[in-house]
Amino acid sequence: MTPKRMLLRLGPVCAVAALALAGPNLAAAAEPVWLSTQLRPIEEAQQVRTVILKDSPVKAQFIADQPASFTVRVEAEAKTGHHVVSLLGALHGELEPFVPLGLLQPLDSLVPRLAADKIPNSLMQLGKFGTQHQYYIPWMQATYIMAANRKALPYLPKGANLDHLTYDQLEQWAAAIHKATGQRMLGFPAGPSGLMHRFFEGYLYPAYTGGLVTTFRSPQAVAMWESFRKLWAQVNPNSTNYGFMQEPLLSGDVWIAFDHVARLQDALRKRPNDFVAFPAPSGPKGLAYMPVVAGLAIPKGAPHPAQAAALIAYLSKPSTQILTLKASSFFPADALPTPGNLEPGLKAEGDAVAKMLAAPDAKPALLPVGLGAKGGEFDKIFLDTFQRIVLRHEDPATVLKREGDAMQRILNDVHAKCWAPDPPSAGTCQVD
Amino acid sequence: MTARRLFFLAGVVTLCAWVLVPLYLIALAATGGSAVVHAWPKPFLPTGALAATLAPLARFLSIAGVWPALLTSVETALVCVAISLTLGLPAGYALARFRFRGAVLFRVLVLMTRAFPVAILALPLAVTFIHLGLYDTPVGVGLMHTALALPFTILVSASLFQAIPAELEEASWVFGCSRLGAFRRVVMPLALPGIAAAATFAFVISWNEVFAASVLTVRHRTLTAYLLAILPESPLDVQFTGAFLLVVPSVIFIFLVRRRLFSIWGIANR
Repeated sequence: MTPKRMLLRLGPVCAVAALALAGPNLAAAAEPVWLSTQLRPIEEAQQVRTVILKDSPVKAQFIADQPASFTVRVEAEAKTGHHVVSLLGALHGELEPFVPLGLLQPLDSLVPRLAADKIPNSLMQLGKFGTQHQYYIPWMQATYIMAANRKALPYLPKGANLDHLTYDQLEQWAAAIHKATGQRMLGFPAGPSGLMHRFFEGYLYPAYTGGLVTTFRSPQAVAMWESFRKLWAQVNPNSTNYGFMQEPLLSGDVWIAFDHVARLQDALRKRPNDFVAFPAPSGPKGLAYMPVVAGLAIPKGAPHPAQAAALIAYLSKPSTQILTLKASSFFPADALPTPGNLEPGLKAEGDAVAKMLAAPDAKPALLPVGLGAKGGEFDKIFLDTFQRIVLRHEDPATVLKREGDAMQRILNDVHAKCWAPDPPSAGTCQVD
Repeated sequence: MTARRLFFLAGVVTLCAWVLVPLYLIALAATGGSAVVHAWPKPFLPTGALAATLAPLARFLSIAGVWPALLTSVETALVCVAISLTLGLPAGYALARFRFRGAVLFRVLVLMTRAFPVAILALPLAVTFIHLGLYDTPVGVGLMHTALALPFTILVSASLFQAIPAELEEASWVFGCSRLGAFRRVVMPLALPGIAAAATFAFVISWNEVFAASVLTVRHRTLTAYLLAILPESPLDVQFTGAFLLVVPSVIFIFLVRRRLFSIWGIANR
């Protein structure tokens, strides 16, 4: 009887206590809030809070957010005029939808202050989104590379150079391992949380067809899907579950893998003697790769714009950029030589990226530009095409016809112009 | 007889292993760091000194902001439990005891609130909460979670009150109880374990919800929004440590309330 009574009485008491506790939270804190979709993993966020922000001239509160709620929050704050966030850290594509809505503050006055940081002009141009104003300052960059277990190296086909493989050689390599071990040891991040669509958009399509949208259903694309279907016969069937390739590499489920540098780093950093990093393979049209750029922006109406600008200046300094590199696997935005005293795993990744960028037939393919909220649907076209052609063995030409129509509808909806690797277009980009 | 007993024991062992082996593997990986996560065969016990085995756990708990987030989670969940019981119990009682027009429609409508995906409502919700001054407060998130938990509270408590014979209540009226007194002295004590179950359910819904919690807060995140939402993107050993720290409190909780748990089922199924 007594415990029941207790429960009855405690309920309302708890509720009142909770309401009372909520009170002080309403008071606004003085520290500027830095909202970021990057450096989200627990250990990276911890590094930002305890290392990078420790010596910062501005004490800021770092808050990591999922891309979906990031967008909602920025738009909600702009709609109500009640601003909490002072600094935004996000990928190029995540900041882009805010520009036509006028949610970002131009940072042109900040640019001269960053002159000493030697941020390459090509990156700075990206931060303008094709307008006259600088809307974000490049913060970090990354890309996708390959990593392999050293056990796989003896099976490399004759005459193949690890730093300049072709997709055909990759297929022969994996086939040789399959034959010798009875296992399919090549892996791709084609699971629900994987980034497989970037492989098609930035690597396979441009390497085989020289374009993406314009050549989506070209004869080269049909040939490409047929040869990728052949390659897939050597791919570990668990690939459709993989999200971060560092896990199957570490557990030995796969020996060769393609993924984002940040999603391979755990394997390369923990066991640098067991794994090698190397550039993505090349196709008939060259070595295509996708640079990923994250930027820092200040929302219009930010409560602490001056402090946010000071924080951008601090984060762009070469010494801070090195700290950022150590905290994550994103590379500095400024043109810095990779420092020699870097830990071996990071150095391996840095070297592989440098080799890829310096390859004579290197062909950068940008993340989709101008799609805004339709980006997810655009990515899904590639995943659907992959599923139908490679996993369900449908006829490539028929599938490409249907999916190409769907892609054109998306492009028409948002009036997106062509982006690299496709040649610039006057109007909406057209699927030929 | 011996054969039957053997079968029985084998069944018991299988069921125990079914539950305990995963827990054991989680604990092993949580304390062993990444070497153990990817090792095969795994060591039977964590190797190394005690300090080394506890280090991953300590590191997880020392992540800046974990404790305030935990407090916010508890506050939010209590707000959710308090409001959903205050609103849900009377509604459930009414559904169970009174015949009124549209009772069936009401049941369906209650469930309809769960039919709208929070992701679509996120922007208008955030805007409204900012206008109301509830943005970034545990009360605000608690209100949102109440909306998610209320359908369950109403339907669970309706079936709960239905299971308590109305004759008992009527008998207490005969002996001089008022309606409220009868509810308090007769119905409530019988329903209490079930109500506790409904409250636990509301608590868990609030505790586990991620999206609304991360859209409606900036500085004052609940634990799930602060940590667990990003756990899947962390290395496996960190995931195991997080899983271990989440599983242990619930195992202890269930161990403590195991008898009550059976009585909850007893009354709910009668």
